[in-house]
Amino acid sequence: MNQMLAIDVKDLRKQFKVQKNREGLSGALKDLFKREYNEVTAVKDISFQIPQGEICGYIGENGAGKSTTIKMLTGILVPTSGDIKVNGYVPYKDREKFVNGIGVVFGQRSQLWWDIGVIESFQLLRKVYRVSEQDFRKRLNELVERLQLSDLLNRPVRKLSLGQRMRCELVASLLHNPLILFLDEPTIGLDIVVKTEIRDFLMQMNREQGTTILLTTHDLQDIEALCSRVIMLDDGRIIYDGNLEELKTRWSKGREIQFQFASQTPLAKLQQLTDTLDVTWTLENEVTAKMWLPHAVSVSDALARVVGGADIRDIKIIETNTDDIVRGIYQTGSAATSKETATS
Amino acid sequence: MRYATLFWEYIKNYAKTRLTYRADFWIEVLSDLLFQGMNLIFILIVFQHTPSLGGWSEAEVVFVYGFFMIPYGVFSTFFSIWNFSERYIVKGEMDRVLTRPAHSLYQVLLENVDPPSLIGSFVGAVIMALCWTQLDLPFHVLDVLMLMLLVLGAVFIYAGLYTALSAISFYSDAPTGIVPLMYNIQNYGRYPVNIYNKMIRFVLTWLLPFAFVGVIPASYFLEKKADDLSQLALLTPVMGVIVFTLGLLLWNHGVKRYRGAGS
Repeated sequence: MNQMLAIDVKDLRKQFKVQKNREGLSGALKDLFKREYNEVTAVKDISFQIPQGEICGYIGENGAGKSTTIKMLTGILVPTSGDIKVNGYVPYKDREKFVNGIGVVFGQRSQLWWDIGVIESFQLLRKVYRVSEQDFRKRLNELVERLQLSDLLNRPVRKLSLGQRMRCELVASLLHNPLILFLDEPTIGLDIVVKTEIRDFLMQMNREQGTTILLTTHDLQDIEALCSRVIMLDDGRIIYDGNLEELKTRWSKGREIQFQFASQTPLAKLQQLTDTLDVTWTLENEVTAKMWLPHAVSVSDALARVVGGADIRDIKIIETNTDDIVRGIYQTGSAATSKETATS
Repeated sequence: MRYATLFWEYIKNYAKTRLTYRADFWIEVLSDLLFQGMNLIFILIVFQHTPSLGGWSEAEVVFVYGFFMIPYGVFSTFFSIWNFSERYIVKGEMDRVLTRPAHSLYQVLLENVDPPSLIGSFVGAVIMALCWTQLDLPFHVLDVLMLMLLVLGAVFIYAGLYTALSAISFYSDAPTGIVPLMYNIQNYGRYPVNIYNKMIRFVLTWLLPFAFVGVIPASYFLEKKADDLSQLALLTPVMGVIVFTLGLLLWNHGVKRYRGAGS
């Protein structure tokens, strides 16, 4: 281990006991006297390592076990089995010491006090984290300037818009200058302007201070903008761990080429042109058509056929976007369980 | 030391938020006092039908009630965690508490401090003082110190029991039924325990030691009775330490079983 690891997880598992509810009134009565439980394994023996200074995206469908993992990494939940080391601590053991070195933002839940002014929440956090007044001022000024919060500082949290609140949440989680930042859906429900602002901010922080960031999100653009690495979770297991580019090339099945023709071109004619190739045509309108071709078919082959048989005004090659790829993986649910070790 | 600073910060914030809702503040104080007043009236009505209750005179029972109000007010100020299960477990606010570097129980308590309840303690002290003169009890400076010690012990007993009670939420899905039950049982502790049968008496003294919050420590200041509860009075601080320690242990163990809300 030459590089210091920010997060080191080995065979991590979390099981929950979930109460079974039987149907109907008689079922409810039975439950009253004899409860039955189901063991649900939310996280199934996962292992991964994140070196310091990395931004890692943690993605997966709802209920895949993302939040459960984050909660174990932040010391909120105690794992059923396995080893965790974050920042050199076992999170649930030395919780009070450990949390001094991490920042946590839950997009769905506020970390701030609802009724008091933003700046008062920050002051309170300063005391909780034992940050000196001097450091606090310096840090706060930087953050406030960077995220343009100066107008909001005296408003109570309940009067902020979601975008404003989320920026304040970020500041709140960073006042004690943590080495690792955990973000659970930080951009949920935000408009594109705020999203971009938050992404830029995180990028800059990572670059300048080397803060390690682990974020879960459903917005793959967050991942594309930020993450050098993606860990994909499905049903409690890691199904992919590597960089985003590789994920795309490995799981994208093909690409699409859009043609604009000079004159009306019927579908039958296009299909005839490419009849020996394994491609599919769809007509957008009278003069526009799209051809989908799998990776097995070479682009030049397909293009040559069409160019030779029709008068083309314009050509556009459309790469399958990440959303489609990831949706595809979620739907098949398999992704061929190719576990990889960290690519750093 | 750090916890003391934190305490002060939270109180300041409490003041800032609550004083903006002035009407609400006074309504709370008033309803608190009305509630205590009703209990007191109940005692007075009982004594219109009988001159003594298990050998205790009206003034003595009211004295016990006055004593009880002091630790109860202090307890309500710092342990107003009636909605713990709902707010922290069901809604998952415990997540936030657990990501901060201070003891989780301490944070929960601070987020819920309720200083208006302290007014009940002052009223209790006044009631005690009035009965003191009416009963012609001797007064020593030492009594003030003893009073403080006994009140502190009683507060810790309450604190321990309700910490344990709140901690049950970590183990069970919906322990809502237990809080009202406890609430009823605790009321028994304000009356002379010798009027109950042996079983209840045992429970109130040793299992759910609510007798140590009211009648036992109060009897220290009163005339000795036949069964002399005042012998137990000095055990109050000891019971306080024991009960609170148990409560805290249960809490600390429970936190490890916290499972969060939602996905």
